[in-house]
Amino acid sequence: MTETKHHVPAGFSLHKRRLKLLGLTVEDCIKAFFGGNAIVAVVVLALVTYFLFREGAGFIGQNRLNLQVYRQAGLEHVDFIRRQSEDHTALTRYLSDLRLRALSHQTNERRLPVEEAQASLAGFDEFAERFGAAVEPLRSLVTDLTEIATASKTKSMVNEDKKEERRQLLAADKTAAAAKVEIARIDFAAELQPLRAALPIYREVNREFSGKLTGLLGALPALPSADLQQRIERFAGLVRTYLASFPAVERNVERWDSSVPVSAMEAFTAFAFGRQWLTASFWQDWYGVLPLLVGSLLVSTVALALAVPFGVGAAIYANQIATKREQKIIKPAIEFIAAFPSVVLGFFGIAVLGQLLRTLSEQPWLAWVPGFPFSERLNVLTAGCLLALIAVPTIFTLAEDALNNVPQAMKEASFALGASRLQTTLRIIVPASLSGIISAVLLGLGRVFGETMVVLLCAGNRIAIPDFSQGLAVLVEPVHTMTGIIAQEMGEVVRGSIHYRALFMVGLVLFVVTLLLNCAAQHIVRRYRIAVG
Amino acid sequence: MQNIRFIFAAIAVAAVTSTASAQRLVIKGSDTLGAKLVPTLAEEYKAKHPGVSFEIAAEGSTTGIAAIIDGTAQIGMSSRRAKPTEVSAATAKGVTLKPIIVAFDGMAVIVNAKNPLTKLTLRQVEQIFTGDVTDWSAIGGRPGKISVYTRNTSSGTYSDWKELAMKKRDYAKSSQKMAGNEQIAAEVAKNPNGIGYVGLAYIQAEGVKVVAIDGVVPSQETVLGKKYAYARPTFYYTNGEPSGEAARFVEFTLSEVGQKIVGKIGFVPTK
Repeated sequence: MTETKHHVPAGFSLHKRRLKLLGLTVEDCIKAFFGGNAIVAVVVLALVTYFLFREGAGFIGQNRLNLQVYRQAGLEHVDFIRRQSEDHTALTRYLSDLRLRALSHQTNERRLPVEEAQASLAGFDEFAERFGAAVEPLRSLVTDLTEIATASKTKSMVNEDKKEERRQLLAADKTAAAAKVEIARIDFAAELQPLRAALPIYREVNREFSGKLTGLLGALPALPSADLQQRIERFAGLVRTYLASFPAVERNVERWDSSVPVSAMEAFTAFAFGRQWLTASFWQDWYGVLPLLVGSLLVSTVALALAVPFGVGAAIYANQIATKREQKIIKPAIEFIAAFPSVVLGFFGIAVLGQLLRTLSEQPWLAWVPGFPFSERLNVLTAGCLLALIAVPTIFTLAEDALNNVPQAMKEASFALGASRLQTTLRIIVPASLSGIISAVLLGLGRVFGETMVVLLCAGNRIAIPDFSQGLAVLVEPVHTMTGIIAQEMGEVVRGSIHYRALFMVGLVLFVVTLLLNCAAQHIVRRYRIAVG
Repeated sequence: MQNIRFIFAAIAVAAVTSTASAQRLVIKGSDTLGAKLVPTLAEEYKAKHPGVSFEIAAEGSTTGIAAIIDGTAQIGMSSRRAKPTEVSAATAKGVTLKPIIVAFDGMAVIVNAKNPLTKLTLRQVEQIFTGDVTDWSAIGGRPGKISVYTRNTSSGTYSDWKELAMKKRDYAKSSQKMAGNEQIAAEVAKNPNGIGYVGLAYIQAEGVKVVAIDGVVPSQETVLGKKYAYARPTFYYTNGEPSGEAARFVEFTLSEVGQKIVGKIGFVPTK
């Protein structure tokens, strides 16, 4: 028997002993490592989402209690009348604005010396004085009622503190001491008796007040120019509307019932459609997300309006028109912007851009731009410009990818039919990649919407819905944003308090909006992608 | 921001210098005190008592009082008195909260240096910050829309100001919430129509001007003499009578040397 020597290379041995770790081969280990990472990522994301919902969910119940106390303690009742007195304050502001215009008319157009100009407005001043004084009885009534309502609210807050104390004692196993904590029952109906008793006084005050205002309407002062005269007519109209609102206020006050329970739905709508975000108030806290949402939307809109032309334009140029050498410069340069930490951009905004924009707005030859000149250097425009800088790299990179994905055959076919380079780009390539470009814009929007540092530093942090009636000038108003408020207030808020939970609710809104944007982007790409081949 | 960086630096320094045998003093709480005053006092104290190390964390008055209740700090800094729930929480855990006034913090109303206004009344300040008045001309100034700058809502100063100057009413909706004293001073310095409030330590900022309130200019004398309206006490909180190193540090703070530092940093000494 001749032995033929089988030479089997070691690598192909079917029975080679493999290195095993805990019964796993190296490949298994690598597989397990990557699989494990993926699972951990998914689990962590799920936990974050769960945590967000869990911390936010308690808000509805707490806000319900918050509003319940607002009603039971009679604060709501007082606020009806308070609003009436505040509307009057707004009217007096209109009057003082009018006086300013009249004075500048007298000194600038008619060139009267200041003393004479002041003297010529004596009639107006007397009218304004009487108009301002008319509200005094109503205002002092509001002050009295405020005290009553505050007293009953304080009682209920002391009660809450006592309950907390009892809970703390029980937690420390001091049952005997806990039993000693007395929690007085508050008889809100009795507490509110003085409020109700004030109703006839309120009616009386109101009648007198409206009598005075009607009297004043008959004695409008004459003003030196047609324009001013028109303004005082407009003022009279406003006063008439104001007077017409009295019966409704009175009805509200009469019909007001402290025992109507606050529903969970009301507690939710107070958040979702609330126009006030007012915290740490001695009177009443409000958690309405609208001013913050509007702020976020305004800033993002400005950012997108600037970033889309630049981002998409640069992508088209880099992908279709630029030479290889230009491409080598443009692409890294734009992607480099993304390397700036947003806090650096924020400081740049405070130190340079805000000041620059304001100086620009004060140039006389730019006075035609709506909103110019403006005095607040931290506003929607400043923040929007910087956010655009953040959005451009995202939009550029993704849009460029989309343009790249258009099959070469389409381009060649277009050239073959005799289309020029520009025609091919604008009529074939861009429309073919439109879905990708739109999704790039949406993802850029998501990036901008969630950006925090820049808006916190540069948006001006005014928690109010800006006045849209002034048109485009709204873009130079300061606003506060959802991301900004979380960053600003989360630091010192008491854990588990209603304020804490309200901030989580804002976080939830952010989460939902960003999620929707991402879903929409993915959907558009999938739905409208051109089938290749 | 700067404050936070400073605190981290202070903690780092404290950590490095601590030795195994060293006495360790943990101080937590208010940003107002912990940003500059207490670290400076600690440095001075360390120079005299080598071997003592400090851990200072300034994350707000709430954390300071909570730290005393939990026993995680020997001294809690606070710019306000303890709330009833905090007192009861302390009692439940067998802790007595003892406040010690270490300094007064005067708040100055500042306007832009170009603003011709030099004085305001208490009532006018209230009207401006609550938004009753929105134009400078209404209080005898140069016409222009008033820009109100305040601290952010979670800061203790934000609600203290409401109590001191605004009869507990709410801020004007148009007010802008700034991150800190420096930012308020910076915005007022750049905006001819701006107004805001800052601690006395910040009134030297360029481009701003302090306004006299009812004829009184804020200063150490007027605050101490209770002539100036906008001032508040700041506290150390301890668990009962302080003892050991904590007692000595409290004593040092209240001593002549300590109070001199208090004045130098921009607070008002207690005597």
